[in-house]
Amino acid sequence: MATVKGLRARLRALFRRGAAERELDEELRFHIEMETEQNLRSGMPPAEARRRALRDFGGVQPTKEAHRDVRGRWLEELIADTRYALRTLRRAPVLAGAAIITLALGIGANTTIFSAVNAEILKPLPFASPGRLVMLWEENPEKGWHEQLCAPANAFDWKDQVRAFADVALYFQGAGQATLTGEGTPQILKAAGVSGNFFDLLGVRVQLGRALTADETWSASGVAHTAVISDRFWRERFGADGHVIGRSIRIDGQPTEIVGVAPAGFALPVEGVDIWQPMAWKPELRRKIFFRRAHFVRAIARLAPGASFETADAQLQTVASRLKLQYPETNKYMGAGLTPLHRFLVGDTQLPLLVLLASVALLLLIACANVGNLLLVRAAGREREAALRLTLGAGRRRLAKQALTESLVLSALGGVAGVALGVVGIRVLEALLPGGMLRSSHFAVDWTVLGYVVLIVLGSGILFGTAPALWMGRRSPAESLKEGGRGGDSRRMRRWTELLVVGEVALAVVLTLGAGLLVRSFRELISVDPGFDPRGVLAMQIALSGPKYDSASQQRLFFEQLVERVKALPGVEGAAVTTVPPLAGTGYTSDFAIAGRPAGEYYTEITHRSVMTDYFHVMHVRLLRGRIFTAADRQGAPHVLIINEQVAQKYFKGQDPVGQRITFDKIPNDSSEWSTIVGVVAGERQRDLSSEPLIEAYIPYAQEIQSAVSLLSRTNGDPSGLAPAIRRILGEMDHNVAVADVRSMEMIRAASLARERFLMAMLVVFAGVGLLLAVVGVYGVLAQVARRRTREMGIRIALGSPIGQVRWLVVRHGLGLVTVGVVIGISAALVATRGLGALLYHVAPADPVTFVTIPMLLAITGVAAAWVPAIQASRADPAVALRSE
Amino acid sequence: MAAAPSAADVLRGTLDLLVLKTLTLAPMHGWGISQRIQQFSRGVLDVNQGSLYPALQRLEQKGWIESEWHTTENNRRAKYYNLTRAGRRAVGDEAASWRRYVEAVELILQVS
Repeated sequence: MATVKGLRARLRALFRRGAAERELDEELRFHIEMETEQNLRSGMPPAEARRRALRDFGGVQPTKEAHRDVRGRWLEELIADTRYALRTLRRAPVLAGAAIITLALGIGANTTIFSAVNAEILKPLPFASPGRLVMLWEENPEKGWHEQLCAPANAFDWKDQVRAFADVALYFQGAGQATLTGEGTPQILKAAGVSGNFFDLLGVRVQLGRALTADETWSASGVAHTAVISDRFWRERFGADGHVIGRSIRIDGQPTEIVGVAPAGFALPVEGVDIWQPMAWKPELRRKIFFRRAHFVRAIARLAPGASFETADAQLQTVASRLKLQYPETNKYMGAGLTPLHRFLVGDTQLPLLVLLASVALLLLIACANVGNLLLVRAAGREREAALRLTLGAGRRRLAKQALTESLVLSALGGVAGVALGVVGIRVLEALLPGGMLRSSHFAVDWTVLGYVVLIVLGSGILFGTAPALWMGRRSPAESLKEGGRGGDSRRMRRWTELLVVGEVALAVVLTLGAGLLVRSFRELISVDPGFDPRGVLAMQIALSGPKYDSASQQRLFFEQLVERVKALPGVEGAAVTTVPPLAGTGYTSDFAIAGRPAGEYYTEITHRSVMTDYFHVMHVRLLRGRIFTAADRQGAPHVLIINEQVAQKYFKGQDPVGQRITFDKIPNDSSEWSTIVGVVAGERQRDLSSEPLIEAYIPYAQEIQSAVSLLSRTNGDPSGLAPAIRRILGEMDHNVAVADVRSMEMIRAASLARERFLMAMLVVFAGVGLLLAVVGVYGVLAQVARRRTREMGIRIALGSPIGQVRWLVVRHGLGLVTVGVVIGISAALVATRGLGALLYHVAPADPVTFVTIPMLLAITGVAAAWVPAIQASRADPAVALRSE
Repeated sequence: MAAAPSAADVLRGTLDLLVLKTLTLAPMHGWGISQRIQQFSRGVLDVNQGSLYPALQRLEQKGWIESEWHTTENNRRAKYYNLTRAGRRAVGDEAASWRRYVEAVELILQVS
């Protein structure tokens, strides 16, 4: 009972106190209003009148101040503090400059990388209701297929039978080649094959003309006669001519009508597509077994209105199961799956981008630690100012707030400079970014990016402002007046700066270790033996088109003559054509069976291409067994094959593959064509340097002729010097032959490493900057400590201590800091680098070599940074040092 | 930022006397008091509100002044301060001690 009374009394007091405060509040507001009115009467503009009234009002006791009109006070204080901060910063231009530059580096790097992340991952796809689009795929555990291309017939069945799909569009992954002739120089274009409803399904509006139409997916002739051209191609080739619609151009010798111009920046299937052509399949194909057996299209579906992703998934599974039963021959193991289109498209760029984002975040943290230290050092120098202001009635919280405001002002200035740097950085990034690494190679600072920058500016301001703010608000005025700001205090201050430096070193260790791992991985990659020798080889794409080359023998004749003439050029050691050059991905893949194995036993997914006789000489591919092709392996002769050692190891263990026969049919029948293996060669890497060679078979070009090939010529000089001569020969033979992608094999090899090189270079740069900042941080703290200990050192030297020993005092201090930082950094990195796993080639995320050498290097750098102040301190004249206090 | 104010700040300790003296004329609100002091001193003295309101509170706690809320002529609510009887006595005492102090300072200035 008594407690209740007491409580009531307490509550009453509380309310009464509240009332008194409200009264005071009102009274003061009245005062300011009167003052404002008076200012108005004397002719000031309203804003100025109020500001002046507030200013004249001056330092009301903090306790009362807290109960004034909150918003007004907050704003007024902020403005006042900001002005004060700017004034004090102007008084310390070197410090302010150093802090702003440091922050600008960190914030600029973040702006640049985040703009790429924003463009690639955060921005919705540039399609209508992109959230309703899903990517469909097939999977077959038996063949080790995940997220595989679809067989068109299956995709059409999904389209018809899955009610939750409003529509399904198909397209060929990547872009093929098409030759443009009759418009001056022939040109090899990047051509995309799409179903007629492709543009409509995505909801992409052409900027001119019309999109393709759904019925153009099929055509009785089996040839496309229409095309939508890209914005870039329209500008470059047709000068952005508005009358281009309806114009007929020759694509692969076929008259093709330009019906539309795609919007700028539309980049599906890939960036840089010149034309989109409808697939124009013959209708009877739908019932052909090949249409269900061969997997060569990507399928995108738009969910029907009201249909959920889950419903669509369930229905798709049902349909896929039904197809398994209906078409066991092709679909026995075929499952289907789907995922949001956006997730699918950002799939493999997400990790590198997030790694970059994480590393610039670390960089910014290091920058913050550095700036925090700078400010702390200065705070120590402002003891007297703080003491003075405390006696003048400023509250400690007010001082702390002011210190924090100062930090925020600094970070805001750093932010402005950072965004400017970031914009420059974006240009640099666009220039350095390997083609095809991201969906788009154009980034901009938009509201999302700016919002992010504002966040990191506030975040970093608070982060590095906390220590100085706590410092300014840490003690009672009496204490502050009594001491001149020395003694126990400076020890506490040193603890803080040391803590920041240790953190900085630890972060730099994480960053450098990450970079170190990527460097190691890259070195592994470039030392990979690709299975061929790229040095001195020139590659060029050549495509024949037109009635002159209707028959395979005409095509063969042309290329055989070309190769003969190229071989006759001075300095050329050999030349050959291949349908797919190495490192350009896989050509065709098939299932195959081996003669003499149990009936029904077959093997999956061997990649094959045709090469001319000299190919292995030109590319220096090692022959391990048997022979290479000869001129005798021509059309009409018995079919022969050369396999790579991967096939031999996998399917001919313990037996000689030479002389064995295989067929590219799952279930051989009477009409199956059998080819005899005549040789085994070392495996070439088909996809990129980081993927092991796949099982591959080579077919003599004369036995499988194609009109578009890659010509490879080996010279004993600089391969790029060979290009003009070959072009001249081509011109003499037929000036309607299109040539593209003339590059040395070295360049192709380098390009296949472009992504890895780019990521590594970026990380090395960030780590370098981070390391530099950390070293500066270590140096700064030690220099400070050394300055403070100059007197002590003077005395020690005066008393006969060896100089080396005195220096060691400082260096030992530095070494201690660096060691603690390195140990923490290594532990953190062990966790952090796990995320790099997928990006590393033949290097473990916890690679011992990296984890030993890099911290060693860092420690050495740290000690070097410690020597300078040590030497300076020990040089001090003892007499001067003694007086310096 | 701002130029130094031309008016001198009221010395601590004399503020109480000035406030009490001002209130002998009529009840007034805080802003009025600060205006009055400025007027009477021909603009020489500038009352810092940071000390005026604490001073008013102090005087009220001492029982020398009392406050009441009234409506001003242009219809705003303001807190008016009024001298109590104890306050009137205090004005005399405070004024006397101030004069003694000023005389002493004056004497010293003449000597040196």
